Amino acid sequence: MLRDERLTQFALLFVALAMVATYMFPVYWMYVTALKTGTEITAWPPSFWPANPDFAAVEVWQRMRMGTYLKNSAIIAVGVTAIVVVLGTGCGYALARVRSRWMDVALFSILMMQVLPSSLMITPIFVSFSQIGLLDYPRTSVILAQAAKVLPFYVVLTRATFAQVPRELEESALVEGNSRIGAFFSINVPLARNGILVAALLIFLQSLGEYVYSRSLIQSRALQPATVGLQSFMGPNTSDWQGVMTYAAIYVTPIILFFVFLQRQIVSGLTSGALK
Amino acid sequence: MTVPLSTTDSMPTVGTIRASGPSFRDGRGLDRVLVWLTLGFLVAFSALPLVYNVVMSFQSVDLFTIASFDRPFVGLDNYKAVLSQRATGTIVRNTAVFVGLSVALQLTIGFGLALYFQQRFPGSTWLRGLFLAGWIMPGLVVGGVWSWILAGDFGVMNWALQATGITSDKIFWLSDPSIALYSVIIANVWVGVPFNMILLSVGLAAIPDDVYEAAEMDGAGRIWRFLTITLPLMRAQLGAVISLGIIFTLQQFDLFAALTQGGPSNGSNVMQYWSWELSFQHYRIGQGAAVSVLMILVVICVAAIYVRSTRHEHAA
Amino acid sequence: MRTIRVLLAGTAAIIASPAFAQEPVELDLWTIDDPGEYHYVMAEEYMAENPHVTINLRTVQFPDMVNDLARAISTGSAPDITYIDNPEIALFASRGLLLDLTPHIEASDIVNADDIFPGPLASVTYEGGIYGIPRGANTIALYYNADMFTDAGLDPDAPPRTWDELYEAATVLTNPARNIYGLAFSAVGSEEGTFQFLPWVQMAGGDYDNLTTDGAERALALWKTFIDERLASPDTLIRGQWDSTGTFNSGNAAMSISGPWEIPRMSAEADFDWRVALLPVPHEGAERASALGEGDNVILANSDQPEAAFAFLEFLYDNMDRVWNEFGYLPASAVDVTDPIFPEAYAVFEESMQYARNRGPSPDWPQISQAIQTAIQSALTGQASPAEALADAQETISDVVN
Repeated sequence: MLRDERLTQFALLFVALAMVATYMFPVYWMYVTALKTGTEITAWPPSFWPANPDFAAVEVWQRMRMGTYLKNSAIIAVGVTAIVVVLGTGCGYALARVRSRWMDVALFSILMMQVLPSSLMITPIFVSFSQIGLLDYPRTSVILAQAAKVLPFYVVLTRATFAQVPRELEESALVEGNSRIGAFFSINVPLARNGILVAALLIFLQSLGEYVYSRSLIQSRALQPATVGLQSFMGPNTSDWQGVMTYAAIYVTPIILFFVFLQRQIVSGLTSGALK
Repeated sequence: MTVPLSTTDSMPTVGTIRASGPSFRDGRGLDRVLVWLTLGFLVAFSALPLVYNVVMSFQSVDLFTIASFDRPFVGLDNYKAVLSQRATGTIVRNTAVFVGLSVALQLTIGFGLALYFQQRFPGSTWLRGLFLAGWIMPGLVVGGVWSWILAGDFGVMNWALQATGITSDKIFWLSDPSIALYSVIIANVWVGVPFNMILLSVGLAAIPDDVYEAAEMDGAGRIWRFLTITLPLMRAQLGAVISLGIIFTLQQFDLFAALTQGGPSNGSNVMQYWSWELSFQHYRIGQGAAVSVLMILVVICVAAIYVRSTRHEHAA
Repeated sequence: MRTIRVLLAGTAAIIASPAFAQEPVELDLWTIDDPGEYHYVMAEEYMAENPHVTINLRTVQFPDMVNDLARAISTGSAPDITYIDNPEIALFASRGLLLDLTPHIEASDIVNADDIFPGPLASVTYEGGIYGIPRGANTIALYYNADMFTDAGLDPDAPPRTWDELYEAATVLTNPARNIYGLAFSAVGSEEGTFQFLPWVQMAGGDYDNLTTDGAERALALWKTFIDERLASPDTLIRGQWDSTGTFNSGNAAMSISGPWEIPRMSAEADFDWRVALLPVPHEGAERASALGEGDNVILANSDQPEAAFAFLEFLYDNMDRVWNEFGYLPASAVDVTDPIFPEAYAVFEESMQYARNRGPSPDWPQISQAIQTAIQSALTGQASPAEALADAQETISDVVN
């Protein structure tokens, strides 16, 4: 009996590894391409490991001054996440709790606010920001614009999580004399923390990769995020794909590692949720 | 402000809260403040650009008059110009196929993976984290990588298909007009799976174990349990993920730019890419805005359906 | 020697407008370059020679330049000097957004419009005014793999000179078993596709506003033959010139049509004897034509420092002899390049430059170009015959032009 269970576990693990390997192939291809010369990229049959691996990480890091770019990316992502979590969590909660025509209208309006891609929003945003002088604070401009872009997304996700929290728990807290705000922080937020955490994480990562607003609103190289720096490899007639992939590898690797390790924390939260 | 909070029959608990005394009246104010904070922020930073686009779609806009509203109104001319183009039918059909297939596949695969990794086996927790790779890779990089994987002459996809004997001829994934759209869909599903999987995992984890245990004791089979317990309890999450998935897919842009540029001959062009092309490559800004307004109409339908669906979700 | 000329340039500027002589001057310059490339290097040198001038550079990605400039102009934050790709000059000039440099050039001892090659000069000219100075130029030619020519029994010293010869060579060189296409080029649905196709139309007697010629139809039919007979990859339809030439470098194509920007990578990565020849013409003795690329330095009409800005443009023009060796462009004017790198390739491209023709000029160039791309793609995918496709494009273009 115990042996069977072991066997099943290994079978499960094996299939899981196969699925992960398939899914991760494009990521692997990014790393391999970072090591290939331009000619090897277009060689047939494709080579799964370059003949002369040439990882120019240090060179790319220094030449591109990636430290500055990554710092700016982090500043923007943290700023956006902070605004979104502070504003959006309460909104998601209220929308999950109260049912009325007005709340339906509110939810509908919030969804509508993210309907257009950034590339179509940027012209009016640029014009209005420049008229109120906000462009003098370029990173703040990007943070505000991007926060508005992803806030609806966050609200919809946390709304779904709050909707899963059993109402009875909140009610009993209220009956025990808690205020609504007290109940919100002591019951709803802890019970919905996985959803909040995951939604915030997705927002953070998405904002780390923000490109369209940053490239238009931030003129000074010293304030631009990594995604804008990445474009330096693309010239009018040339594209340094090896450079792009090396740069991307430097940018992506720490995040993936962070995830693989942090996932333990998130998932232990996920599976040992206070509901069990 | 005294907007009455109407309650719906499906939510008897709201009535309970209302009956429970004065502190809850402040509570209703709290809800409104919370929603208005967010709405206010969005109105300030998102509504204006949205309105701006709608207005432009009725105007004759020059590349150099983008900063003023004072432009000649041309009624529906932009819409007529856009709808009378020969490519319009193809592009609208492509958009429907792109969104429909992408969302269906992302959801199926994402849900499947979420369920699979819900099982307990060694490594199940951290292996799941790897799937976020698709979410964090910059668009330019995803586009570049997929353009090599799907390249007709030297792509690794063709190599794999030939090596395993599935096909003997090379398939020109990106330049065959009848295939190109599906190639972009493949890449887009890859991008969208993590989003679906992670969010549905959160939803699954929030379902209390005892619900399943009770059902198991009643002798309910796996599929029955999935249909009668998991799906209803996941209603809120599924509604959110599907509606956001549709909106995201309607915004997918990088992959078209990197893989096919909407070609060949509009074979893989979709409305969001077309709108961008019209506005920023051909400088027919009014027409680009008109296409974006047509897209907004689609999202209005999605949003309305989503909001309706939330009325029935409080099964827990 | 160079220093002397630079000093002279500075002196000329000072003489031209003594009023601003040593007043501190700030110029905003937008460029598609990154640090270490043309504008950054030149601006640094200029500031070193002219300490009272400060040049603030901003990099804008090539595809974003027009939109970013339009936004900046609309909100009153445009630079003094900027780079503009040559087919876009008419768009800006037609709206009075660029400074007409004609009076400055007439007064200048350094810039002489007659020295600028006809193609590049046409690209900065709009309705009689000269609105920019080319910073350099590029054009396209036929790269070929001489080793493959020898292997296939072709004479590597006699590359194809006519379209028929090109077709025959491509047929002989194509070798599916070894994954070799005869020819690589780009028919992508973007400006690059137009850039590659237009010279074929022009050398057969047509132009962007005269597409329904027999020659244009023959050109498009030949392109279709290349794809249909698999003498070129079907991916030609979605691949730019750089990625197409990548397949030439890796030995998967025997010939490739592209420009001088390929040379640094090719010389590093192509392990065969590669050479360059002029674009083949429709028939022996036909008029030549080639594409004209690269961009121009222009001064915005609203600049409050036109004199100082023009002095910098003169400095740039005066260094035209350096662009090939240091930055990889062809000179846009008649200058002596001493010891050009890749001398054989340089000789071919320099000659080709004499035949390079402007795209346009038309303030509606993007729409014209779009019509041409649609014609190429619909013909090559078999949705329309070459004649029909060109007739459709002509109809659209006639509407736009009139």
